[in-house]
Amino acid sequence: MKPQKTILIVEDEENIRDAIADVLRTKRFLPLEAKNGKEGVDLALTEHPDMILLDLIMPEMDGMTALKMIRKDAWGAHVPVIILTNVSATNEQLVDDMITHKPMNYLIKSDWKIHDVVEKVEDVLALQAA
Amino acid sequence: MITDMKSFNNGIWIGARAAMMGSILMLFAIIYAQPAYGQIAASKDQQNARVDAGSSESASRVAPGDLLPISLKLSNFGGGMRVDALIAYSILDATGREISSTSETVAVETTASFIKSVQIPFDTAPGTYTALTSVTYAGQLTPAISRFSFRVERKILGLFQSDFLLYGGASSIITICVLLLSYILVERRRKARFTPFDYSGISKDRRTFYEILSDTIMQMRQRVGDDALVIASRTAGLTIDPETGRVLALTEPPGKVIAALVSEYERFLGKKVSFSFRKDTTSA
Repeated sequence: MKPQKTILIVEDEENIRDAIADVLRTKRFLPLEAKNGKEGVDLALTEHPDMILLDLIMPEMDGMTALKMIRKDAWGAHVPVIILTNVSATNEQLVDDMITHKPMNYLIKSDWKIHDVVEKVEDVLALQAA
Repeated sequence: MITDMKSFNNGIWIGARAAMMGSILMLFAIIYAQPAYGQIAASKDQQNARVDAGSSESASRVAPGDLLPISLKLSNFGGGMRVDALIAYSILDATGREISSTSETVAVETTASFIKSVQIPFDTAPGTYTALTSVTYAGQLTPAISRFSFRVERKILGLFQSDFLLYGGASSIITICVLLLSYILVERRRKARFTPFDYSGISKDRRTFYEILSDTIMQMRQRVGDDALVIASRTAGLTIDPETGRVLALTEPPGKVIAALVSEYERFLGKKVSFSFRKDTTSA
């Protein structure tokens, strides 16, 4: 039996976080939940999830700062990250940060249904395993 | 007294001779199926009369319930004297059994031409049948009979069964070929349009920008068609192949170009745009 994949959801909106976690559970993933960037960094560096779903605009610590801190870690440098946000990538600095810190996808929340996001998680994990 | 029969383009001729009231009357009948495209002929001499019969396979094919047209031309060479001719039509099956018959009397003074439509019974089984036409008149010395074969065939959607199978089969094969060819062409075009370009020739520090721009253009092309190429080609600092969307050059800071392109697409779509990075970007 394959080990259960762990997905860390870093999202300040509880409804979205819970909904994604529920769908991930039905797909036999083990979701971990963090409500801001700081909690996300702590959980990521202690639990070493197989993937991180990361919001950008959050209290205490925003998603890009959290991603920069995760990427500084030896394990975190290569963990696949999907950014799930409502922020347009129309800012040069944001684009440069993304290029530097290498998320796998930049998904606009309003463009994606939760089931599609989870499918994307499966695709990325399968791609990583390939 | 001579009766003559001549082959007529695509018809059946019957000739008969009659003597009436001491004078010589000649009645000449032409019977042929309509329409006819070819001719089969048989000849039979009978003392002083000769009968030729002909019909076409393609012309004489009818469906049960259809009307079989038989054209007749009667000519009276008897010096203007009126002759009443009884014309009998019979349809015989392959065993010679009569399945339908009708008759009529026609008065012929000089010439009479008409088409008689004989209905084939609705319950007629498919097969080869014979249409028998005979002309009888007072004082007739020899029988004037004509016969020709025709086929009865069922119709499907207004076409004879054999034609339906032929045309239907041909149409199906052509349709399948056209659909298959279209599918192959569309697939080939789609694959060519939506296969990510390789930028391994671009320096590693700029390659990711090229890939993001190229993949974003490709994904937008899937959503909005070739407008994606037009928008990309208008973006400041970005040079693309106008046919394929391949990124050729970046003359502005790459992050700025990506932000500008995404901004243009969002304005065009009226909604925000997501994009993906290629796998090797995390391991680079």
